Parts: sequence; C-alpha cells; structure tokens
Amino acid sequence: MNHSMLGGICEYAVKEAEKSGATEAEAYAMTNLESEVLIENNDIKQAKAHTIAGLGIRVFVNRRLGFSYANTLTEESIKRSVIRAMKVASVCPEDKFNVLPISPNKVIQRPKLFDNSAESFTVTECTNLASLMLKAAKSIDNRVSVDSGNFTNSFMNHSIYNSNGICHSEKITSFFWSILGMAIDGEDVSSFDIQTDGCHMLADVNVSTSAESLAKNTLKSLGAKKINSFNGDMILSPSAVSELLLETIIHSINSDSVQKKASKFQEKIGKIVSSNLLTIEDDPTDSRSLAAASFDREGIPHCRTKIIDSGVLKSFLYNTYTAAKDQVESTGNAAGGPSTPPVVSSTNLVIKPGSSDLGTLVSEINRGIVLNRFSGNVNPISGEFSGVVKGGHYILNGEITFPVREVMIAGNVFDALKNITGISRQRKFFSDSVLPHIRIENIAFIGQ
Amino acid sequence: MNGGLSIENLRTLIRKYPEDYYLEARFQSRVLNEVTFSNGELEKISTIENSGVSVRSLVEGCWGFSSVYNTSNDKLENCVDTAISTAKALSTIKKDKVRGLKTPHRITRGVFEPDVKGRLQDIGIDTKINTTKEAEREARSHSKYIKSAYSSYLEILDHKIIVNSDGAEFETFDSKPEFTITCIANSGGDSITASEGRGVTGGWNDLFQFYDHLEYARISSERAIKLLEAKHVLGEKSTVILDPGMVGLISHEAIGHMVEADFVLSGSIVKDKLDSMVASEKITLVDSGRSPYSGGAAGSLAVDDEGVIAGDTVLIENGKLKSFLHNRETAFLFDTEPTGNARAFEYTDEPIIRMRNTFIKPGNDKFEDIIKETKYGYLVKGPRNGQADANGEFMFGAQELHLIEGGEIKGLKRGATISGNAFEVLKSVDMVGNDFSYGIGTGYCGKFQVAKVDGGGPHLRCTATVGSLG
Repeated sequence: MNHSMLGGICEYAVKEAEKSGATEAEAYAMTNLESEVLIENNDIKQAKAHTIAGLGIRVFVNRRLGFSYANTLTEESIKRSVIRAMKVASVCPEDKFNVLPISPNKVIQRPKLFDNSAESFTVTECTNLASLMLKAAKSIDNRVSVDSGNFTNSFMNHSIYNSNGICHSEKITSFFWSILGMAIDGEDVSSFDIQTDGCHMLADVNVSTSAESLAKNTLKSLGAKKINSFNGDMILSPSAVSELLLETIIHSINSDSVQKKASKFQEKIGKIVSSNLLTIEDDPTDSRSLAAASFDREGIPHCRTKIIDSGVLKSFLYNTYTAAKDQVESTGNAAGGPSTPPVVSSTNLVIKPGSSDLGTLVSEINRGIVLNRFSGNVNPISGEFSGVVKGGHYILNGEITFPVREVMIAGNVFDALKNITGISRQRKFFSDSVLPHIRIENIAFIGQ
Repeated sequence: MNGGLSIENLRTLIRKYPEDYYLEARFQSRVLNEVTFSNGELEKISTIENSGVSVRSLVEGCWGFSSVYNTSNDKLENCVDTAISTAKALSTIKKDKVRGLKTPHRITRGVFEPDVKGRLQDIGIDTKINTTKEAEREARSHSKYIKSAYSSYLEILDHKIIVNSDGAEFETFDSKPEFTITCIANSGGDSITASEGRGVTGGWNDLFQFYDHLEYARISSERAIKLLEAKHVLGEKSTVILDPGMVGLISHEAIGHMVEADFVLSGSIVKDKLDSMVASEKITLVDSGRSPYSGGAAGSLAVDDEGVIAGDTVLIENGKLKSFLHNRETAFLFDTEPTGNARAFEYTDEPIIRMRNTFIKPGNDKFEDIIKETKYGYLVKGPRNGQADANGEFMFGAQELHLIEGGEIKGLKRGATISGNAFEVLKSVDMVGNDFSYGIGTGYCGKFQVAKVDGGGPHLRCTATVGSLG
C-alpha cells in the first residue's frame, strides 16, 4: 500500500462519518512492515516478520465523542467502524472541549526520516546484524554473557485526515536494537547492563558500539564491594537519568496530569522548579531521534517546545483537548497509535548539554557514587523514589575507585532536580530522549 | 467476522509445503471494547476490531513467525513463505536448534466455546457506558473524603481458527469481560487508594454474578474511607492469614513463573527439584485451563494455541513438586507431556508458555477456626501488584490488614507489603481453609506479550514478613 492510498482511505472514512451525521470527524491510519530478530541466552532465538495496518476513526456528534478502530482497511470494514463510532457518540456525554484542530500552519516534512534502501531490508539482514552484535559483545571478553537482545527494522506509513481540512501523510523507516547482559567470572556475577539504540537511516546502524558499551559496563562492575552508608554526591549516567528522573518529569509536564491535579508542577509556570543548570525541551524535529516525525497524532505540525529554561518552568505539553480546556494552543503533543483516541505525551525530551566533561564532574567530588543504572520504584506524582544502585562505582577524592553493590538510595525527584550541581557535555540518544550525565548533591547512600 | 476464512482455507494453505516442515496457521479476530470514567467525566472510550492470520514455522530446527492483517489468498501464501524464510534465515547462525515437538495424545478437532450467561454481543454499548458511569458516580457519593474515583469496563471477544501440520484443526471462541472501580480517599495530606472488581471468562451476568456495579462501587469506597482512619502496621515477621486473592497472587507470581519450562531451561531455582518437597504437605497447587471449584475464572481456555487440551496441571502435590508448565517444544526436551500452556495474545503474537488459572486446592479448616486458633497475626486481604525475583523472593502489596489477637479479629490496619521466599512461606503453611475463590481476574500477566490469567485458593495460614507500605 503506498503513501497516498493510505491518505485516501482516511479521507474515505471521514466522508463516511460526515454522511452518517458526524459534526466533526478524524481518521488516523498506519501501515507497518516490521522484521525482528530476537537474541536469548547467547544465541539467536527467533525471527519474525509482520505486516500491520490499522485505522482509528474519531467522531464528534454535537461534542459527544465516538471512537472506533479496525485493522482491515476495506471499505466494508471502515463503514462498519464508522457505524460503531457513531453509535458510541450517540450515548456518550457531551463535553464542550471535544473539538478537532483546524487546518494549522504548514507541516514541514522532516528530512532524513526515510531511507529508500531500508524498504527492501530483509529478515536475513536483521539476523546478520543481531548476530554481529552478539559476536561483538562476546569477542571483547568471553566473560560477557548476553541474556537477551533484538534487532528490529520497520517501514511505517502514517496518514491523518480530518473534516477541518487537515491532511498529511509521511513515510518513516527505523532501525532499533537492544542488548542486555552481564559479566560472569566464576562465582562473581556483575550487575545487568542494557544498551538500546536506533536510527532512521541504514548507514547510521551501529550495533558494535552498543555491544562494546555493554561489555565495558558489565566487566568494570565485576568484583563489586559492599560499602558503609554515607552522604555524598551522585553522578547519574544517561541511562540512570532516564530510569530515575525522566518518568516524573514527563508526567509532571503533561497537561492532562496537571488538569487532573496530579502534577507537582501545577501552578508553577514561570517559577523555579530546578537548578538553573537545567534546560529541557521537547524536540520531535531532530531526525536523530526515533520519535521524530513531521506531525502529531492530530496532524498538528511537530515543533520544539521549551519546557524548563535555566531552572524556570516555561510550558506544559498539550494536545487539542487539553489545550481547549486551558484556552491555549496545542503544542503538537497528541500521541498514540490509531487504535486509541489521542492522548498527551512528550516525544523526544532533550536535556541541554552542560559545560563539563564527565571526568571534571568526577574530579570535583569528594565522596560519592557514579550510577550506571537505577533499579527501583519512582512515584511520578509525588516524585518519591527508592531503589538500588546498579553498576555503581565509588568516588573518593575526585577519582573513581571500585565498583559497589547493595547500595540503596531514596529521596525525591523534585528535590534532586534542585540539587543538580553539574551536567556533562556528552549526551546519549534514546528513543524518547537525549540525556547527559547529571551530578546531584546531598544524597544518602544506604550501604551495610 | 472471520474474513471469510475457514478451517478448510487454512488446511489448504499449509498443505502444499514439504512434510518435514512444521507449520501452524492461526486466524484470530478480536473485538475489544473499553469504557473508563473518572471524576464524572468520560476518560476513555474505544471499540476495536483487530483480525489477521499468523503462521509459525519450524524449519531446519529454527522457529520462524509471520503475521498479516490482509487475508486475501496471495497475502496468506506470502505470509507462509515469510514464516519459512525467517526460520531459514536463522538456520546457519543459531547454535541451539529445536530438537522436536511432542505430539499430544489426542489430535484436537472441533469447536470450543465457554459457558456464557448474558452474551456480551447482546448487551448494548449504552448499557456498558451507563454502568461504568453510574458506578463511578456511586463511588463518589458516599463520603466527602472520596475525592476521586475511577471506573473501568473492558471486554475481549476472540474467535480463533487454528490448523497445524500434525492434524489439529479447531475453532475457539472466548469472552472475557472485566470491571474495576478505584477510589481515592483524602483527608488532610493523607491519601488512600482502594479498588474492587472482577474479571471472568463468561458473559455480562457472570461478571456481575456476585455483586452489581453499584455494590462494587460501595465496597471500594467504604474500604477507602475505613482505611483512611486505620493506622499503619509495624514491620515484623508474623503469622499471616492470606485471603484467596493473595493466595492466587503468590501462586502465580512467586511459584507459577518459576515452573514455566522456558524459565526452568534458563536456570530457575526449581530446575532440579522435581519430586522434592518444596512446600508444606498441606499444599497442592494446580494450574488449570478449566475453572474448578468456582466457575468463570478469567484465565480459562479449553485448548491452547498449539492444539493441546488445557486441563489441570498439578504443579505441587501434597508439598512435592510434580510438574513444570510445558509447550510442545519443552515437553519434547523434558520427555513429558505438553500441558496446554502455549498461549498467544494477539494474532501478531506467537504462542509462548503462559499460566492460566493458578490456585491452591482447598483443605479442611473452617475460616472461623483459622482465626480462632491464631493468637497473634494478621488477616491479609486484597492483592495489589507485586514483584517476585528469580530466586523465589517476593514482595506483594495488600490493600488491608486486620490485626488478630487471641483468636479474634481486632482492628483494621492500612495496607502493607507481604514479603518472603515463596517456598519458605509455603513450607510454613499450617492451616488450609475449606473455602475457595478466584481473586486476580482483573489483572494481566506480562511476559513479552500479555495474557489474561487468574489465581485463587482458600484462606491459608502461614508465616511471612509484614512491612509497612509507608
């Protein structure tokens, strides 16, 4: 199925809904060709290939919502789906904020999201790359054990059409891989490490770097020792930033959480919410991010949104519904697939790089721990966290000394954001974020 | 709605390939409807129709898998070819090849349907929306302390047609509705969450067999209000009496996962424990595709996606570990019978080893006697989420605790975590109730893909660590 055909199917669905009496209607459809190879227990496990499609139709009948989804894109199936959506709308309560976006500014087609050569990429090539990644990890040191991993490629088409004149389509290719494992030296088993990466262009695929990082991180955490409890500084690796801080930030800047009074950032726009070292924006326009796309789930052009500027909260993220409630413009953060009505979500959360090297961040610490990963619970509403340091290394007098084990930390994400004392220049790209190393002071480490 | 496909179509589709290829074609059509209300507003509504065909192949010792939504003839043939080529792509690279598949005693044929009272297809979407809306309103109407409530109705209706190279040819129909209501009570800066609900295999009347939607709302809100006045417990190792839901949660999370044969192969702590005592001799633990003792358990299925009849699998019998949970591949490796646990959630998922209804069989003790004979301890009710580690250590949340002193239930305490090592806790069991119910049917089990499961049992008395949720 090609590009314009999918847009045509969306248009057909919207016209059907209007014929059936919908005041407003929107169709969002997607097709996806996906190949995946799975790694398990130091071996290739399984290969899969899927051809997936789906169309979600959203109707408003006098501000009453109806929604239906079908994954067969025949006229008959779409007609049935429209009838179901209309039936739902006839019995749902009215909500004055139920509106569709009107035809907005021009969508700028983002470059470098589609690679022609990826269209003909086969499961054999996925297998070869998964195998290459596995071999790369094992060849560095035979103590490295790969527990699981995958290599996936997808060729996705998505289209949106609504009764207010929005009509966009785009093709996106992506490659995604992950590798999870540990180092085993006799009785000594290191902490787990996981590396994930991805890109849109075949030329940017680089599985060896992920394998090397896994090997490096797991090998250096062999021989971990217990330590006594102390108060000091911590440096979070980009993965640890993701595990410890990201969920709470994403939750708190979501207009839906704010409107439900479940965000600590409620009524904090224009106020200081973190150290002035921290600047964050949501950026779906950067083609290096797997989340990059030209428009959101409602067809609003994607754009950069400044969220925190030098510690000051600037904006929440909105879709059309939550924006109508707050009487502001959508920030283009309508999210979700075709099978559910649009929700609100960040796309690619980017923390601005700092001015220090990781080495400098370490050298300025008297006593502390650098975390590779954090494993525990974080309550995104209150920000309370508690959990275990994984792949941690003890820092004494400005130098990394030895790996540690069984060290716990507990605290509050919102306090931690205020206690940031350093951000690294180097950053890591994740599928939903770009994150540096972050140094935070005044952490209680609970050891033996 | 089956895209015009029949057993005959799928049989023809896989027949023309070499005989030493194992092929399994599955058509699955799903209808999923969901309604959620929160604080008087419609939070979510969606109706979903999802259908397609997947083909799994075992060729040259490697598994291949492919799925397609379009069920025209050429697309289906293409799907089989892809399933075969994905398997072949691995054959020169994969080290540990699949050695074979155990063929079940009986080749499965026929049509399987659950008992349903009140077909979900016959209940209008307006009834489902109103029920959810009314329950949410009812939950908030009881007390000014209930500041927010959340109610959710979800139903999954499946139709599958499965044909494989070993001659299995069958159709299954499934119907699994669930209803949950959650209340948040606030007073000062203090906040308590309580929820109640049910998930079943069956129809509308089965779902509301014991309580109607308003009653669930009342139970949930009353629990939240009472808990708001209750105090926290102190952390201690103590005698605890677990309610059937907690027993179900431990059976599933802490024991069940450990005995899944794929997990056993990757080094589960029970791998060398068959025929050893792993629990008190009062414990008989079963995973079943049926719903014995009490009908309509949410994890029920008649036959699994590899065509194996899903009966009772006794995992622990009078304290002794008797069996693992197998698919046909692991049954071949362990030289035993497949247990009917190979399940796939969506048509795009391949069957993997999953539990069904996991429970402990009832014993002889009356609930009143269990309480009467407990000098000091806690009655632990209402399972929440929890975690179990690969070594059997678990930590589960409970919604409410009741202090027991001198053989009497004294007072309500706030929810707490119950932790311990599953096998040690099961060894400490000294009283097993003669009652029975299922209690985790609103939950889903995640393992690469989700599955609808259930679990339960009688009340059990044992020793575990009670820790404050803080």
